[in-house]
Amino acid sequence: MSSRTSTVFLVDDHPLVREWLTTLINQLPDLRVCGEAAGAEQAFDGMRRSRPDIAIVDLALPEGSGLALVKRITTEMPEIAVVVLSMHDERYYAERAFRAGARGYVMKGESTSSIAAAIRDVLAGRLYVSPRMQGVFSKRFGEEDLQSLHAPVKKLSDRELEVFRLLGQGYETRRVAQSLNVSIKTVQAYCARIKEKLQLANASELLREAIRWNDAQSAG
Amino acid sequence: MSTWTRYLERQPRGAVAAGCIVLSFVTGFLDYVTGTLISFSAFYLLPVSLAAWFVGQAFGLFIATLCVTVWVAGNLIAGDPNFANPFLIAWNGSIQLASFAVVVLVLGMLHNLTRDLERRVRERAAALTKEIAERERLQNLLLQASEKEQRRIGQDLHDGLGQHLAGTAIAGQVLREKLERRSLDEARDAAKVVQLIEEGVSLTRRSAKGLYPVDMQAEGLMLALEEFALTTTRLFDVNCRFLCESPVLVGSPTAAEHIFRIAQEATRNAIQHGGAGNIDIELNTLEEGHELRIADDGRGLPSIIPANGGLGLRIMAQRAQTIGAEFQVTVGPECGTIVICRLPVTIEEKMAS
Repeated sequence: MSSRTSTVFLVDDHPLVREWLTTLINQLPDLRVCGEAAGAEQAFDGMRRSRPDIAIVDLALPEGSGLALVKRITTEMPEIAVVVLSMHDERYYAERAFRAGARGYVMKGESTSSIAAAIRDVLAGRLYVSPRMQGVFSKRFGEEDLQSLHAPVKKLSDRELEVFRLLGQGYETRRVAQSLNVSIKTVQAYCARIKEKLQLANASELLREAIRWNDAQSAG
Repeated sequence: MSTWTRYLERQPRGAVAAGCIVLSFVTGFLDYVTGTLISFSAFYLLPVSLAAWFVGQAFGLFIATLCVTVWVAGNLIAGDPNFANPFLIAWNGSIQLASFAVVVLVLGMLHNLTRDLERRVRERAAALTKEIAERERLQNLLLQASEKEQRRIGQDLHDGLGQHLAGTAIAGQVLREKLERRSLDEARDAAKVVQLIEEGVSLTRRSAKGLYPVDMQAEGLMLALEEFALTTTRLFDVNCRFLCESPVLVGSPTAAEHIFRIAQEATRNAIQHGGAGNIDIELNTLEEGHELRIADDGRGLPSIIPANGGLGLRIMAQRAQTIGAEFQVTVGPECGTIVICRLPVTIEEKMAS
């Protein structure tokens, strides 16, 4: 019956959020808040002392960025799982947070009721994103990640792959055209075909996908 | 006339003066050769006028004296009866000198007047140019100030009110869970309250986004326009699409923000004034630079823009000018309006660095 109580550390510059998060977490039987901080430095010191099981981190912090803090925690204290709780849009920030090492992303004020679920999922070793983002994320960060990650790209022709690779390196359309020695119109035509083959809705999704693929390539 | 006067004005004074002296002697020689019966005195006006206009009044008087001397000397050598005795020489010479002096003085005054007028025109033009530059600078400052204010309000909404509401939502959730544990029906009401607060957060986030749209990263403009098209479709019951063939990265945050604001203004015009149902916002890379193009199917531009209206158009043009972009508003092929803003690649690169 004596399931262990997990400890939670809160990092948020807003006192109201910290106060009520503490109440919310402490009223759950298996969780306890062991410390809180308003800034990145204070948070890091606090966590080194209290060694929590999980940290809930806001991305907008007065000193230093939350993403940098997430990265620092996950590299220097990898046993602490990090859940990001942020006002920032998950469509644009969740992936960055996950790349920095976070294991969960909850948008502030979008799904308050799922904060507890997110903590539990992450403590159980799973990743947490909102149902809306699950479709996008499941194949990206799942266990069988790499295979499924590379599969759709195989559908691309050599030339399309080249364009995709350059976009992933942060090349703009014009520079892609210049380095492949083709017109901008041609690059745009390639982009249209890549979007169709990889089922990407628009150019910004194409760019994100290209960058992600490129990162995965260089990591692997 | 003006070509040769300008030519002479550009010549060194010494050369013109020497020319006048030579011309005086040449005229004197021709006067002598043509004999005493043909009057040649008027031709001396040429070196006298040239000297007075291009070298100065004093030199004009000197040439006048020289011409009179040459004229008298020529006539004496030719044996003109009008110069038979010293009185006649003095009388005729003085009359001639006096008439030349009048010409010199009148020309000198005229010359001063012309010069004064030219100087004043130049001063006025300079003042006007300065005033235009100052007005443009003020317009820019005004635009920047209003943007800064918007950004501040946006940030306050996002980081202040938004966070406060998010905290309140968590407080509501605490209450809801307490009520649920006691199996009270009020838990449902608490859940409803949490949901309402969350809607408040969402509204706050959206308003903040409208005021402070472009994330300062290169791909920020694409993301901001994509988000804007979605929000517009949702809020205004129109079909607003964001079309972008291939990734467009705008390295300068200032340029990105101005382009975004142009898109925002053009879309607002299309809905409010044009009554458009479909709006396409296109962002593309062309050979010469980035192009933003907003096309709608509304009523198009009014043929006469009211005196107090057209402010939005002027501000869009001003924004484009600020970032060195080309701005164009035309009527669509069948209906509606097309707003185009082209940012040359050279300017964008300069701004980004």
